[in-house]
Amino acid sequence: MSLPQNRYKADLRELEFVLFEQFGLGQLLQREPYQDWGEEEVKLTLSEVYRLATEVTGPLNAVGDREGCRVEGGQVVTPSGFRDAWKKVYESGFKSLIVPPEFGGQSAPRVLSAIATELTSGSNTAFDMYPGLTIGAADLIEAFGTPEQRERYCHKMFSGEWAGTMCLTEPQAGSDVGAATSFAKKNADGTYSISGTKIFISGGDQDLTENIVHMVLARTEGAPKGTKGLSLFIVPKRRVAADGSSGELNDVKCLSVEHKMGIKGSSTALLQFGDDGQCLGELCGTAEQQGIKQMFKMMNYARIGVGLQGLGIASAAYLSALEYARERKQGANAAAWKDPDAPRVAIIEHANVRRMLLWMKAHVEGVRALIVKGAMHLDHAMALAGKDDQAALYHQGQVELLTPLIKSYSSDTAFRVAELAIQVHGGVGYTMDYPVEQHARDAKIFSIYEGTNGIQALDLVARKLGQAGGMNTQRFLGDVAAFIEKNRDHAVLGPSVANLAAAHEAVAGSVMQLLGWSQSGELARIPLVANRFLTMMSELTVGWLLLDAAVIALEKQQGLTKDDRDWAFYEGKRHAAVFFAQQVLPSVVGSAKMLSAGDTSPLDIPDAAFATV
Amino acid sequence: MKILVALKRVADPANHNKVKIPAAGDKIDTAGLEWQINPFDLYALETALRLTEDGKAPKTRLGEVVAVTLGPAETETNLRSALATGADRAIRVDTTDDALDGRLVAAALQKLVEEEKPDLVLMGKQVVDGENNYVGQALAELLDWPMATFAATIKEEAGGLLVGREVDGGVSTLRVKFPAVVTVDLRIVAPDSVRSSKTAEGFKYPYEEVRFAPLPAIMQAKKKPLAVKKLADLVGGATLSSKYVKFEAPPARKAGVKVKDVQELVQKLATEAKAI
Ligand SMILES: Cc1cc2nc3c(=O)[nH]c(=O)nc-3n(C[C@H](O)[C@H](O)[C@H](O)COP(=O)(O)OP(=O)(O)OC[C@H]3O[C@@H](n4cnc5c(N)ncnc54)[C@H](O)[C@@H]3O)c2cc1C
Ligand SMILES: Cc1cc2nc3c(=O)[nH]c(=O)nc-3n(C[C@H](O)[C@H](O)[C@H](O)COP(=O)(O)OP(=O)(O)OC[C@H]3O[C@@H](n4cnc5c(N)ncnc54)[C@H](O)[C@@H]3O)c2cc1C
Repeated sequence: MSLPQNRYKADLRELEFVLFEQFGLGQLLQREPYQDWGEEEVKLTLSEVYRLATEVTGPLNAVGDREGCRVEGGQVVTPSGFRDAWKKVYESGFKSLIVPPEFGGQSAPRVLSAIATELTSGSNTAFDMYPGLTIGAADLIEAFGTPEQRERYCHKMFSGEWAGTMCLTEPQAGSDVGAATSFAKKNADGTYSISGTKIFISGGDQDLTENIVHMVLARTEGAPKGTKGLSLFIVPKRRVAADGSSGELNDVKCLSVEHKMGIKGSSTALLQFGDDGQCLGELCGTAEQQGIKQMFKMMNYARIGVGLQGLGIASAAYLSALEYARERKQGANAAAWKDPDAPRVAIIEHANVRRMLLWMKAHVEGVRALIVKGAMHLDHAMALAGKDDQAALYHQGQVELLTPLIKSYSSDTAFRVAELAIQVHGGVGYTMDYPVEQHARDAKIFSIYEGTNGIQALDLVARKLGQAGGMNTQRFLGDVAAFIEKNRDHAVLGPSVANLAAAHEAVAGSVMQLLGWSQSGELARIPLVANRFLTMMSELTVGWLLLDAAVIALEKQQGLTKDDRDWAFYEGKRHAAVFFAQQVLPSVVGSAKMLSAGDTSPLDIPDAAFATV
Repeated sequence: MKILVALKRVADPANHNKVKIPAAGDKIDTAGLEWQINPFDLYALETALRLTEDGKAPKTRLGEVVAVTLGPAETETNLRSALATGADRAIRVDTTDDALDGRLVAAALQKLVEEEKPDLVLMGKQVVDGENNYVGQALAELLDWPMATFAATIKEEAGGLLVGREVDGGVSTLRVKFPAVVTVDLRIVAPDSVRSSKTAEGFKYPYEEVRFAPLPAIMQAKKKPLAVKKLADLVGGATLSSKYVKFEAPPARKAGVKVKDVQELVQKLATEAKAI
């Protein structure tokens, strides 16, 4: 067993910059329903959540990894300390930031909850999945359940008394959710008897709460094939008595948990529903065959949630590498490399290491800005709905468009940042004495669940680009163009903005090409380039947001002296932006060339030619 | 029980590099510093909260905790954070850092105590910036109240407190009658260091630091009363009794030396460091 020890840290100054200085959270807080929130509440919240992350969940990160979860007598046992942490996390109230007031929440903006999630998830991804999925499941009931169902389940789930899960995946139904065969037979009393096997269910069983509410996609009698025929059911682990208490077991058996590469503290369960014909569920809401629609409504949150998981780990890995690079002495300054007596320097002084550190910094801060932008659009869309529908539509459109970027680019980046963080650590990074190897293992799942990144890329290219008649994409490209126009001649950033302009042109060209292929029926080409395009568009967005941050930072830097911590903070913004613009954005132009060349080798190669075995 | 807790903001010790001394050396330049509440004062706040509750969840309030600070308007952020942590109301005495010394702070607190009439004044044993270890003792003297410093344990008894104090040779125990002044040390936040008259036998707090400010309390904090008073109204005409002659940054640490064996170490400790 490994001893609890916190190794998580975050840069709160950076979080406050993104929220207040770059994305104007202050203005949003003046709108309904956020008026209870002021800058003071936000900052206090962040500093308390940070304490929670470093004092409660962070110390259990390696413990959860080493111990993992196991099944004993049909019951999952979570790692040491998780039960206590669950209690403390819920007592702190921070899991109710965006819960509606009727269920004891605080109507905070989503963007604040997003940043709080970066901290809690970044400190311990595996632990944070239990509350994360619980909130997701409760949100579903809150949005679509009957008043009785909301009353019965939401209070207890939002307060952490009960937990929740999402049960979509089955052995033959992974990416192809519509292949699910779990079955729901309607009983005379209106309940349903549920039967079927769900696999890979996060938090599918655990010992943190007295009851677990499974949200199960299943097919009713006579329902059509495919996703359309799926209905959403509420299936508790223990039956809920009339007085709301949890009673006898409901024939949901946890047969095993997966032995995984990472997030080992999060149980990933194989659940058998109705093995003994005794599993009862209730339809969520009143209509059958709405399951996929209901799940889809919550999809943006869930996918942004995975983006946040990526950000949390990426940021933690970067800051670990930075700390190590400042401490580790190895080799002499490059100028003195021939002199054996030259003093050994910290590796942060080597150009090779600085290159890696700045790559990480730029990508981490860029992804953070991308996610905060997405979450801000969500908040604005919600605050403006019914007041200024045109504006709300614009914001909602940007959420739709950016969500696949947030999910995929953040998750891919997280793995790469963690990999580089190991590299900066040298040999010790490959050992379990430092946190970064766990970061890499934990981060890999993000590109797989909640719709693989392959599926996200297809969603972006095949659905989102052309959504609303292509309007969302046009508005997005227009926003970038406006920034370029305004800052083309910026004294410091001008040349970087020129690179942004080239990337913008490249992405706009590729959009036309992709839409052209869609229209001319050349659909087979799209999957060959969809991932590359998603990366191009993400890099354009991140380059733009980093430059935007740098413009703001350079303004604020004026009048500060060099020994001021804020001077250095703002200076960091400038260098991250220039680095990204100079060293990453040119590849967007290269990708566009690749894309327009239209190579189809992956389709042309015969299956047998991949290998002779 | 009514408890007054005195809090002072200090420059964030984790960012001590930001503390700057102008060439003239006549003061500390506070521009751009990041502030937080003196850790020992936070322990005092935690102590006050423990003394005014039964420890059970949900906690019942058994008294009133008033958080007090002396400082400019920005220090209200620190008071709000104390209110979010659990204090019932707050008082800010409007002034600036360079208009204060320990004697003046004690005098101002004395007036506040006379107005508020608490049973107990709690504060940290010292602040981590000046490290004077002065205000608590001075206040007790001005009020002519009993005092216990460096409290590591506190147990409420009828009409007073039993205070375990950490001293060089071990623990000395003092019995103080209300009203009293108590300054607290680090170990006061251990799980079972503080027992109010209602704390159940054997009860231990599940943490050993200052409690979290839970989200609902953060949202409630701005609705709790925060009064502002003028320093002059409390101690009109009082002047500083200590004068700062000069500030100097501590000398930079010199590079260490490697010794080849224990013998050399002992010899150096004796002859060079004169430590033994
Ligand atoms: C740790 C963990 C936790 C999980 N938690 C949950 C949970 O809580 N609830 C839940 O319901 N599920 C959960 N899952 C399941 C997860 O959502 C699925 O693994 C995921 O949807 C991918 O499905 P699959 O594993 O069957 O892969 P497959 O669908 O077999 O995919 C394999 C590869 O083929 C590609 N691919 C497949 N179909 C297509 C297509 N039509 N077009 C293009 N590419 C395609 C994929 O992109 C992928 O690269 C979890 C999985 C893991 C590993
Ligand atoms: C599983 C494993 C097996 C091993 N097996 C052996 C073995 O059999 N025999 C053996 O002798 N060793 C072995 N090693 C040690 C391995 O060769 C070293 O870990 C490796 O040389 C890196 O050195 P380091 O770990 O001290 O990292 P460091 O040298 O501290 O490097 C840390 C980071 O700083 C960079 N860096 C360091 N100095 C400079 C510089 N001057 N300029 C630019 N960048 C710099 C590095 O590129 C790296 O990214 C093993 C290590 C592991 C993890």
